[in-house]
Amino acid sequence: MRGSGSGSGPGSMRLRLLLSLAALWLSDANEPGTAMTTRDINQQTRESISDYTVKGHDLSTPGSHLSTQDFNQQTEENISNLTSAMYSISIDGFSSAPVEENVTLYSPANITLLCSLTRTSTDSATVEVTWKKDNERVESSNVTINEIQNAWSTQYTLKIRDRNQMGNYACVFKSDQEVKATFHLQVPQIEGKDHHVVSYVGDSVVLVCKSLKYIPINWIWYMSNGSDQVAVNDSLMPDKYIVDEKYANITKLKILKISEKDDRSYWCQAVFKLGESKGKVSLKVLTYMTPLKPFLAIAAEVIILVAIIFLYEMYSKKKQMHAEDEKEFEQIEQLKSEDSNGVENSTTRHRKV
Amino acid sequence: MSPPANTHLAYTPPDGGWGWAVVFGAFISIGFSYAFPKAIAIFFKEIQDFFGTSYSEIAWVSSIMLATTYGGGPISSILVNRFGSRPVVIFGGLLCGIGMISAAFCTSILQLYICVGVISGFGLALNLQPSVIIIGKYFLKRRPIANGLAMAGSPVMLSTLAPLNQFLFDNFGWRGSFFILGAILLNCCVAGALFRPIGMAADPVQKQTIKQAEKTVKEQPNNSSIEMVPPKTVSLLSGTEDEEDKDCCEKFNKYLDFSLFKHRGFLIYLIGNVLMFLGFFAPIVFLAPYAKHLGIDEYSAAFLLSILAIVDMIARPITGIIANSKWVRPKIQYFFSFSIAFNGACHLLCPLATGYTGLVIYSVFFGLGFGMVCAMLFETLMDLVGAARFTSAVGLVTIAECCTILLGPPIGGTLIDTFGDYKYMFIKCGAVMVLAGTFLFIMNYYNYRMLAKEERERKATEETMKDNKHIRTETEDGNIWAKEKMQDGPEVEPLTDEKEGLKKEVNGKSEV
Repeated sequence: MRGSGSGSGPGSMRLRLLLSLAALWLSDANEPGTAMTTRDINQQTRESISDYTVKGHDLSTPGSHLSTQDFNQQTEENISNLTSAMYSISIDGFSSAPVEENVTLYSPANITLLCSLTRTSTDSATVEVTWKKDNERVESSNVTINEIQNAWSTQYTLKIRDRNQMGNYACVFKSDQEVKATFHLQVPQIEGKDHHVVSYVGDSVVLVCKSLKYIPINWIWYMSNGSDQVAVNDSLMPDKYIVDEKYANITKLKILKISEKDDRSYWCQAVFKLGESKGKVSLKVLTYMTPLKPFLAIAAEVIILVAIIFLYEMYSKKKQMHAEDEKEFEQIEQLKSEDSNGVENSTTRHRKV
Repeated sequence: MSPPANTHLAYTPPDGGWGWAVVFGAFISIGFSYAFPKAIAIFFKEIQDFFGTSYSEIAWVSSIMLATTYGGGPISSILVNRFGSRPVVIFGGLLCGIGMISAAFCTSILQLYICVGVISGFGLALNLQPSVIIIGKYFLKRRPIANGLAMAGSPVMLSTLAPLNQFLFDNFGWRGSFFILGAILLNCCVAGALFRPIGMAADPVQKQTIKQAEKTVKEQPNNSSIEMVPPKTVSLLSGTEDEEDKDCCEKFNKYLDFSLFKHRGFLIYLIGNVLMFLGFFAPIVFLAPYAKHLGIDEYSAAFLLSILAIVDMIARPITGIIANSKWVRPKIQYFFSFSIAFNGACHLLCPLATGYTGLVIYSVFFGLGFGMVCAMLFETLMDLVGAARFTSAVGLVTIAECCTILLGPPIGGTLIDTFGDYKYMFIKCGAVMVLAGTFLFIMNYYNYRMLAKEERERKATEETMKDNKHIRTETEDGNIWAKEKMQDGPEVEPLTDEKEGLKKEVNGKSEV
């Protein structure tokens, strides 16, 4: 799954615009049973288009591979939920490293996987193109292979309806060398927390799991018990666990009256139509003694420093007073002799200074 | 006619020695005051989840803390006028510590507002003002450097507290972190312990004269010289004052000098600064979101703020050194206006920066401008009103700035939400600051001219009074007699050995 940060802003905008225009053009095209819903196409294509070159004939091919019969069947099911998208990988010659692409599927959809191989040598030995699902070879009528001037491309159209169809699909180009590209079809990832959450005995804590962009059908919480996972039953223990689902894409597990036994990992599982996905949040429980030690250390440091400063001040003042007392004695004697002349004299004296 | 300037110090500031220890203490104190409200934002996400509140409700904690720190200024000033800096800072440090420790045991967001926002905020207010005040008492010739160094505490503390807070949070959770931060804030007490009180120089001749003066000579009630005198002598002098006619205004003025509102320089500073703060903090708040909006990833956006902090850290002491040089010091107000306008110009040019490199350059110049302004923020006020009245001045200024400081980022946020574009916020901030800088420049030019004119008049009257055996209080080495100063009034502080005219101009006189 590519983050939206990839690719320049204006570039992907242009891409989306072209795709939607293309989809609209296709829907107007006079081919029976070819209709692509544009809903969500932007979202899905934005995620996983790489090196996509817009060519008119490339766009026209997916539509023509949906047979009327298939399409009619789909319209009977629930056409409003169907999305179609194309994912492509461009392989740069036989010597390039295997490329992988993550395809996130939220709900049943029609997808087209496109592999194109460019820059083969001019010596056009025959290239054998195959598709594999989970390393098993696939034979399907939904596969097309094209070759234009030593640039080979292949497309595999899939109708993803259930979880068995998720997995890894790889296109393999083989002549004297072999190169492949893999599409990982998966459900949306769940964001847990990388670092453990810290809480204290007797306190309560809220563990949060988020599903970005996609709303799961359901959330289930598990806690780790040794090596296996046990479901967290909040209805059975309502004063210990509370699951809050105010927003459908965020789940919060609130654990009350924490004890040391609660120091373990918790898993939040999001159920989608095409499978489940888990996120991990681990909880660390401390006693109040733990922060007390640094606290006392720092407090002690403060007291010691303040004491040192005050003692130093008293010491230096004493020294100063000693030296001053002697000076003062002399000067008072001097002043007393001039005192009789009044203020003026002292100021006169001062002026000389 | 306003009362004559009582802006003098009755002793020579040491300009060194223990003063550097005081600068270090102020560095810590000021650092905590400015950096702490920003640094605790790291805990907000977790606390928000814990209490189940929205982000804006959590953000109130920081706002309340900042508001209390600035709003508590006058109270801080009154306490310093009465007790001196040291007890106030120590008490402030204890208050901060208690606030944060009790925050560790909070069970509702309202309790957090009170513990972190009000109690700790007020403790920080009792730290900020006295630290700034005591620098004015310890330094004169090198005051800009001392101010620059002390104000450098803010970026240094922020750079230290931010990763420290993250570390504490990862290891102790937010409750444990607040608990430990309470202990860390107790270090403000250490800073306070360094603030050794300074008053009359321990010159036995002076002591004698004061004893004579309070017996023989009847002096006018003199408001601001009182705080310069150690408490022992205050009791001696206030004895004579009781015999004087004292209305409640004068008595209150002893604690908080409202007559400053008739002081021309003070008013100029107040209006200029209140205007400036409208556009001062908003760009920092929105720099990282703006970078993310332009497509820059989170870590690089955070790095921009680090660049800003590092440049800020270096700029403050350097600005202090420049401001202390003999070319700039007499005209320091112009330098201050220039730095505000420079800051504003940076913001106006920011929308032109579209890539990461552009933003890095902007951050560098912004950090430079920000540091320059902050380093001279209190130095210029001291320069205008004099160290004696600075105690009250800083309290009054901070409570006036409090409103615009709080309004600035929300106004910027509203602009961004309305137009959907960050550039209007930058333009608004830049325009406000350029306006403030220009205003200060023009008004200070006027002020300098008026001061020069008043100085000439004062000299003329003194010449005539000289015949009546009134002594000139002008000295070169700074041994100043309290009694004579009270009768004449003008501030005479030995700054440089050159040009008396310039010297007089810098020591702000208060005739309006």
